[in-house]
Amino acid sequence: MAYLIALIKGLVSKALKIITPEPLQLSNGKIVRPAISIMWIVIPVLTFITLWSISMTRFRLDMLIRRSEQFFVIVNRMIPPNFAYFDSILTPMIATILMSLVGTIIGAVLALPFAYASSELNQSKIGKFVVRGFFSIARTLPVLVLAVLMMIVFGAGAFAGTAAIAIFTFTIMVKMFFELIDTADMGPFEAILSSGANRVQAFWTAIMPQLWGQYYSLTLYNLEMNIRNAAILGYVGAGGIGIVLSERLAWRVYPDVGLILLVLMVTVLVIESVSREIRRRLL
Amino acid sequence: MSVMKPRIQETLRKQPNEWGIKLFMFAIVLAIFFVARDFIPYNGVTEQGLLIARNIFNALTNPNQTILFDFVTRDGVPVLIMETAAIAFLGTIFGALISIPFAFLSARNIVPKWIASIGVAIIVVIRTFPAVVYALMFIRVTGPGAFTGVLTLSVASIGMLAKLFAEIIEDLDPGILEALDASGCNTIQKIQYGILPQLMSNFASTTIYRFEINVKYATILGMVGAGGIGAPLIFAISAYRWNDAGALLIGLIIFVLIIEMISTRIRKKLATGD
Amino acid sequence: MIQFTDVVKRYPNGVEALKGVSLTIEQGEFVAIIGLSGAGKSTLLRAINQMHTITSGSLKVNGVEVSSLKGKSLRRFRRGIGMVFQSFNLIKRTTVIKNVLAARVADMSLVQSLLSFYSKSDKIIALEALDQVGILEKAYIRADQLSGGQQQRVALARTLAQQPSIILADEPVASLDPVTSAQVMNDFLKINEALNITVVANMHHVDLALKYARRVIGIKEGIIVYDGPASGINQQTLKEIYGRDLTEDDLMGEH
Repeated sequence: MAYLIALIKGLVSKALKIITPEPLQLSNGKIVRPAISIMWIVIPVLTFITLWSISMTRFRLDMLIRRSEQFFVIVNRMIPPNFAYFDSILTPMIATILMSLVGTIIGAVLALPFAYASSELNQSKIGKFVVRGFFSIARTLPVLVLAVLMMIVFGAGAFAGTAAIAIFTFTIMVKMFFELIDTADMGPFEAILSSGANRVQAFWTAIMPQLWGQYYSLTLYNLEMNIRNAAILGYVGAGGIGIVLSERLAWRVYPDVGLILLVLMVTVLVIESVSREIRRRLL
Repeated sequence: MSVMKPRIQETLRKQPNEWGIKLFMFAIVLAIFFVARDFIPYNGVTEQGLLIARNIFNALTNPNQTILFDFVTRDGVPVLIMETAAIAFLGTIFGALISIPFAFLSARNIVPKWIASIGVAIIVVIRTFPAVVYALMFIRVTGPGAFTGVLTLSVASIGMLAKLFAEIIEDLDPGILEALDASGCNTIQKIQYGILPQLMSNFASTTIYRFEINVKYATILGMVGAGGIGAPLIFAISAYRWNDAGALLIGLIIFVLIIEMISTRIRKKLATGD
Repeated sequence: MIQFTDVVKRYPNGVEALKGVSLTIEQGEFVAIIGLSGAGKSTLLRAINQMHTITSGSLKVNGVEVSSLKGKSLRRFRRGIGMVFQSFNLIKRTTVIKNVLAARVADMSLVQSLLSFYSKSDKIIALEALDQVGILEKAYIRADQLSGGQQQRVALARTLAQQPSIILADEPVASLDPVTSAQVMNDFLKINEALNITVVANMHHVDLALKYARRVIGIKEGIIVYDGPASGINQQTLKEIYGRDLTEDDLMGEH
């Protein structure tokens, strides 16, 4: 038993000797001991987590290599895309675009008062805490979960999808915007307050004008995210192109899938470019 | 006031009409909503719908404690969360590793302009597709399950990671390289002491940020069949098994909040000096 | 009329910014307050419109006990007091006229102010205020495109649009060059004489204070050490107020 302990002690001290850097002696005689590099902890931990994850997810490299050929077979069948199919996807595609537009706008508008309530402008410590806490939790809900919940309330279809996007954007914008409010210059706010206005009036008149450009920019950024979100909501039945895509995939009609992906890609690229350009000019 | 000075009257008349832009924007928004009515029909609230607020509240306050604390079987919330975490982790790590070469190939200060443009174009194309789309495709290749989730997240992460990595590379301070050059270092030393330190902490911070995002995506991907807590969650909700759904949601919420907190703290430390 | 009676301001960390201040300022006076930074000038000024609260003592403005005001009564009270700041505190990306109109918001309902529905009479009041400080022609120009002196005059016009009985100025010209400072101080003087508005100004620069104010209050470490006509100040009193000889920094200088 004592032998075992001594053995362990010996190993530990040997290991420490390896990983501890040599103390350096400076020319003026002082001795500096550099700290043990944090990499000695980080790398083993990461490796451990990686190995554990590989086992948890049943990651099989051999299967990947074997089946990757199948991937290219599928991609091959998607080209050339079936352009004749375009008429059938026009409506769902437009619905998808509208869903993202309407949802983003509603979410962005709703976020304003709640962003105010979450910012330092809200003088109630408890109030701030409650609002921020509520939205932190609400933000953890993935957009598809919101979609399913909305479908239970409003039935299947694009309305539920739009509502899901609105709520999702709402929760995200509250955080992004209240952080923005807290960076604003409070000087004009103080000035308007001193003239007898109430805090909301002072906020609207003195702080919002500083922030409108960035607010629109945030909204457009969310729009870019949401056009992608809207595309997948259809998968659970909440409207848009998602349901068509998953159906065509399930039936393995790959040329149709190719067209859907192409149209989706063009739409996303167009919206992103327009949005980038507007955002560039806003700021 | 009875008499207004003519100068003031004059200035009042000259006021610019700012209602123009506001009305224009308002009109666009109205147009969008108007057109939307044709494509997004409102069918009223379903019967179940009116109860849903109560049900959700119920779900969260009376979660199914059996599965919530079931640390043993694969159906228990903790195991599902860990599986989701594993999917997110591997997806992020692999995504980051794959993104690094892509990033170098799109950085204009590393490769010639035309190669960089191609690199950027590829990244942009990869980024346009939502992760779910990749998931649906990969399921055709490797079947449903956590493995597919990892693959999907790896590919989906490239879009963001490669882009941000490339930006970090382009922001490299050449001054440090010059200084090292001047003191006589060879290429490997320059990379080791000049480039890597600048890159590593930024890469790490970005990767951790992507991990946060991937945790949420891992849940979504689960719903389309790529493993993790997503599938059981959506089954529970669709079947109105509110107590089960509540347990799963609580597990998810707590998990995401913890990850957010840890991630923010680590990234702050990375930014300020570690 | 502003009346301080034995006013004490103690901060939570124990620091006493005002240690029993008593003074009376009649309507229409032009008073400058001088003293070192941290001597209590700012606290004194801001106590008047309750931007800072007081710990004890009585502070009455036009007969009203200031510390008794809150909510709606406080806001209505503040309508009658304008405030001008060293850093102007204008809304930079907005036009001059909009900055001045912002002062009218306190009289408007919430809905009106959210929609920025200024009435015609509001606009006329704003324009007349701009005219009084001599920058009417800049009405529709963005505020950050003006010079420092012009911006401060916009701020002054903003307070005028409140139609106040008192204007408080916290080091209003400390960021301006000598020529512009003189112009702005002249504006204050003109408004004080023409409209009988009480002006209480914290002044960083002693020579300006002595030149424009009729009455000077010197404050040191929370206590008033001089309260009298500007003409009654000499080197001795200045040394008492500042606790040291004056430096270049305390003077605006020639123009």
